[in-house]
Amino acid sequence: MEFAKLDRYPAVALAGVQKWYGQYHALRAVDLTVERGEKLVICGPSGSGKSTLIRCINALEAHDGGAITVNGIALGKDRASILDVRREAGMVFQQFNLFPHMTILENCTFAPRTSLKLPRGKAEERAMRYLARVHIADQAHKFPAQLSGGQQQRVAIARALCMEPRIMLFDEPTSALDPEMVGEVLRAIEELTADGMTMICVTHEMGFARRIADRCLFMDQGEIVEQAPAEDFFERPKSPRLQDFLSQILH
Amino acid sequence: MELLSFGDKGYGDELFYGALITIQLAVFGYLLALVLGIGLGLFALKGKGPRWWAFRAYASVFTGVPSLLVIFLFYFGGAEIVRSVLAPLGVNLRLDVTSFQAGVAALGLVYAAYLGDLIRGAIVNVPKGQFEACEALSVPRRHLWFDVVLPQALRLALPGLANIWIVLLKDTALVSLAGLNDLIAQAKIAAGSTKQPFVFYTAALLFFVLISTLTMPAVRRAAQRLDRGQRKAGA
Amino acid sequence: MTFDFALARENLPALLNGAWVTLMVTFTVMAVGAPLGLLIAFARMSKRRWLAAFGAAYVAVCRGAPSLILLYLIYNGLAQLDIVRHGWAWLLFQHAFFCVVVAFALNHSGYIVEILRGGMEAVPAGLVEAAAALGLSPRQILWKVRLPIAVRYGLKAYQNEALLFMKSTAAVGAVTLVDLTSAANEIFYLTYDPFTPIITAGVIYWVINFVMRTGFGWIDRRLNRHISAA
Repeated sequence: MEFAKLDRYPAVALAGVQKWYGQYHALRAVDLTVERGEKLVICGPSGSGKSTLIRCINALEAHDGGAITVNGIALGKDRASILDVRREAGMVFQQFNLFPHMTILENCTFAPRTSLKLPRGKAEERAMRYLARVHIADQAHKFPAQLSGGQQQRVAIARALCMEPRIMLFDEPTSALDPEMVGEVLRAIEELTADGMTMICVTHEMGFARRIADRCLFMDQGEIVEQAPAEDFFERPKSPRLQDFLSQILH
Repeated sequence: MELLSFGDKGYGDELFYGALITIQLAVFGYLLALVLGIGLGLFALKGKGPRWWAFRAYASVFTGVPSLLVIFLFYFGGAEIVRSVLAPLGVNLRLDVTSFQAGVAALGLVYAAYLGDLIRGAIVNVPKGQFEACEALSVPRRHLWFDVVLPQALRLALPGLANIWIVLLKDTALVSLAGLNDLIAQAKIAAGSTKQPFVFYTAALLFFVLISTLTMPAVRRAAQRLDRGQRKAGA
Repeated sequence: MTFDFALARENLPALLNGAWVTLMVTFTVMAVGAPLGLLIAFARMSKRRWLAAFGAAYVAVCRGAPSLILLYLIYNGLAQLDIVRHGWAWLLFQHAFFCVVVAFALNHSGYIVEILRGGMEAVPAGLVEAAAALGLSPRQILWKVRLPIAVRYGLKAYQNEALLFMKSTAAVGAVTLVDLTSAANEIFYLTYDPFTPIITAGVIYWVINFVMRTGFGWIDRRLNRHISAA
């Protein structure tokens, strides 16, 4: 296990990362550095590789070339580094992926108890705390199917937080939600930003991006086309592809 | 109905003990088949490659021949099989195989093929997101399988599992032909002694018909209970 | 635990005779069980309550009972009744083969009823309405529209059932009929080698199974010729 110098290292560092699906070149030598506490939003058309990128960071996809370092841990193909990286970075999925046969509380205590070996009492205490953070503690004993999509996604956020990761990855967290529920989830995510957590969020919600992002990234065809601080990104897009994209999204 | 009474005059207790043996045989056979079936389902999970073909060969053999033949093979040849398996390990033992043991082994191996297919299909139908969520949460492999995937897979496979239970239960009747003193054997003896075949065979028939007819509603109710959180609220 | 090729070759004729009996039983029962099943299926789906109840009871008994019990009931039960032994029916019942066919036909027909029921229920209602709108009588609709479609839908289920059934005929040894399994057993009793005859019989069963499956596949393709593969 390699650790970079412990005093100052970025949260996430990607150097020349490549990914192929058969013949299809999904990520083309991507370089990216995310500082600790930074809020990064990644946007782009479908097929641009933004989901692939974020899934490579926590090893849900294995990268084929280049180097990925998370909180100083070099991500290799071995189980040990993968496990370490996954402890550092929590993920919230587009499809929530809650465990349907467990209650909300059990969903949240499952990983802390099995992976961190937390005793039941402590795990439940922690779970209730994070469920309260996303304002859903009163539903703790219900099952996922009894909740709305927005509620389920907030539970998914709490579940990821229960592992107390230092980085949170969001893969299009509101894309599968009915419009009226998008707001409650975005609000929950915004409230997290106040704690100094490092966040990387793939999303189409541009209003949300403008509000919370420190920096925005535009990806197209496996490459980062443009990145800039949020205001510059939206007000003064430099590349024609980004200008096109923004005009389509923002009408 | 004096014939069916318990005690010396009637055959009620013989039938009862025969029925107990039948149930024991069915339960042990099914449990063996279930454990092997889950193992096979996990083993052959990837739809291609040598493991898949090994499983297909196993299934082809054990579903291509009558279970009675397998029962006879284990009953007549069981002692020899045990000896050949243990010999390379240095154990020189000649164990006689009872018809009960032959029955459990035969039913277990044959129905493991059906259950393996069923369970593999069910696991494949558990949404991929469940695996990804566990990976992202760094849940250990053991807990991924036993606490998340298999419970959902077994729930999906429940109707098939119940169906195979009924088929296996009926197949236990065949072990009586290998000498087991189960319900059918006892009914046959009683029918022969008393020259009243209808009474005893009908009693045996009712035993099986009752269990088959009652299993399905019971399984449906169990399924509803297992689903308790999973019925969609509203839309 | 060795396989004796010479022994296998020597006893092949006996085994093949047994296989022939197995095939005779299988196909005779399928031929008898099909119309019987059709008849009971009509009862089962009838609007008259008592008829439907009778059909349901028939299915519950014939499917719920192990075929061995049905076998004993007919061979050791029905065929031993005085009325039968001294009547004209004895001409038939004295033969184990007849008893076997009756017992298995009862069993097999129970499954056919359920397969047909499932197939009939799967016939799209729109098709039946269209046929009625075109002026076909209920009888014509039944025979020309609903049944043919039900049969196609039920074919896969029927194939599974037929293969299972063929294997269940191994039980006929219990009532003195010498089928493939019994033949294998007899060789064992003579030679004390359980593996050679049983494994050879297993191979023959497997081949029969394979041929039947191929046959069903062929029928399936022919029946669905009008539906071109997507």
